[in-house]
Amino acid sequence: MALFLAAVEQGLIWGLAALGVYLSFRVLNFPDLSVDGTFPLGAAVTATLISRGWDPFGALALAAAAGMAGGLWTAALSTRFRIQGLLAGVLTMIMLYSLNLRVMGRPNLPLLGRPSAFRTLSHLTGLPGDWAKVLGAGLLGLGCAALLIALFRTELGLALRASGDNPTTAQAYGLSPAAQLTWGLALSNGLVALSGGLAAQYLGFADIGMGIGTIVSSLAAVIIGEILFRPRGVGWGLLAALGGSVVYQGAIRVALRYGSRLGFTAADMRLLTALVVLAALVAPAWRLRKEG
Amino acid sequence: MLTLHGVSKTFRLGKESVRALDGIDLGVGAGEFLTVIGSNGAGKTTLLNVIAGTCWPDSGRIAVAGQDVTAWPAYRRARFIGRVFQDPRQGTAPHLTVAENLALAAQKGPRTLRWALGRARLAFFRRELAVLGMDLEKRLNERAAYLSGGERQALAVLMATFTRPKVLLLDEHTAALDPAHAERVLEITDQLVRAHHITSLMVTHRMDHALRVGSRLVMMHKGRVLLDLGAAAKANLGVEDLVGLFRKVGVVDDELLLTDAKACAAQ
Ligand SMILES: Nc1ncnc2c1ncn2[C@@H]1O[C@H](COP(=O)(O)OP(=O)(O)OP(=O)(O)O)[C@@H](O)[C@H]1O
Ligand SMILES: [Mg+2]
Repeated sequence: MALFLAAVEQGLIWGLAALGVYLSFRVLNFPDLSVDGTFPLGAAVTATLISRGWDPFGALALAAAAGMAGGLWTAALSTRFRIQGLLAGVLTMIMLYSLNLRVMGRPNLPLLGRPSAFRTLSHLTGLPGDWAKVLGAGLLGLGCAALLIALFRTELGLALRASGDNPTTAQAYGLSPAAQLTWGLALSNGLVALSGGLAAQYLGFADIGMGIGTIVSSLAAVIIGEILFRPRGVGWGLLAALGGSVVYQGAIRVALRYGSRLGFTAADMRLLTALVVLAALVAPAWRLRKEG
Repeated sequence: MLTLHGVSKTFRLGKESVRALDGIDLGVGAGEFLTVIGSNGAGKTTLLNVIAGTCWPDSGRIAVAGQDVTAWPAYRRARFIGRVFQDPRQGTAPHLTVAENLALAAQKGPRTLRWALGRARLAFFRRELAVLGMDLEKRLNERAAYLSGGERQALAVLMATFTRPKVLLLDEHTAALDPAHAERVLEITDQLVRAHHITSLMVTHRMDHALRVGSRLVMMHKGRVLLDLGAAAKANLGVEDLVGLFRKVGVVDDELLLTDAKACAAQ
């Protein structure tokens, strides 16, 4: 039960990052690697502000804003300076590593005994801590997914989707591909940083290394969601990414608990995750070849 | 409605250079429907690209409805200019549904937080799709990728015209279709253009198409306009006469054969 709850909580919290990655990879068709920098940026900003006495919700809002700035930066590298998408993301990620250290002032910032969004929620509702965490993660995860689903049904959201789907068509209907990429990446990285900020409050610390592999684990969540739920359309795609994130976190918990019997340690998790993503990426091509 | 003044464009590939447009002067009046013919490499696509803004001229000026748009990026000109490409995949977004594609085309100005598929809009889309006579009004929620090439191109023509652009650019937009669909899409184009009096430029390799529709015919060769026939002159012309004119203005035979072969293949 505790394992199940942990999977749901973490799946929803890290699922916010999966929503962001779904937006950049699947909707905008832009392989944005800056998330490995904007996730810990969100954590760093949140932890720093809370340790200075900020309200945890205000800290989250500022974390999201910082993430959006990171997305704007990557978009600027790509559209203004014509740097290739992958490289633009990597550059942002590396720059943010230093910036995050500056923000925190040291590599690890504990938040023990500090207020958190989950604790506030527990006070407000009278729920025990664990359930408050599920509630908080659920509210934010599902709330953001719902907002995105609604956004995608508006003219603005349609513009974003069209410009990722077919830039030539989008341009012929009055959309600037650069402008669409810019606000799309801002939104995507805002979500990722929000995820990072919430993760810091959940874990009780921010760490300079906590962003490593965000892109891979988020992509794993998106892909697992697509394989398990076979979503039709972007709305279901977003929900599938959240679901995929829960499944992924559950699998990681199980692997951590029982994997030791097979000789796995926590250090092997990244390798395993990467292998899962690799398998998911290769499988469709392999199946196609087999079918002829 | 559309004027080009001394528009030139040279492509350089290493040491080689191709003068795709060689000082084009062209004025197209409101409601005129130009058909543009010419051998391969004559500069027809480049002409449309320069007008649409997806390619910058080296010199010259372009004005639409009296407004100089030479320095405008393509997406800004798109508010005045509708465009259909040769490749049916370029004119529609494959993962968006038929209705969503139409919604994308319905609002060319700044987008807002309004629902893209409101009830009134869907009713409007159904009415417009019914005009095509392809039963697409029953397939509003299907992805564009699942439509046939002809259906997709008909949808693209509708999308490009239903915001009543000041200028419509069609680049061999029936060339990739089977004969029956090509005829149908040409018919639809002619019908929509005339119903809404849209100033149009249609590039085609089919001489019979160039003669059948449109109110004016322009022949290009090596980046220049060699022949410009008004409605009256055009009406008395047959495909044979057109081929003869091609020869007379000095298009060498093998170049012409190429266009002929292409036209035959299409028929
Ligand atoms: N982007 C480009 N780079 C280099 N050369 C180009 C480019 N676009 C066009 N050209 C050259 O410019 C000339 C005119 O090309 P254009 O595509 O306008 O011809 P066209 O009349 O449309 O021919 P077709 O009937 O084959 O479509 C050709 O010689 C072509 O090779
Ligand atoms: Mg061409």
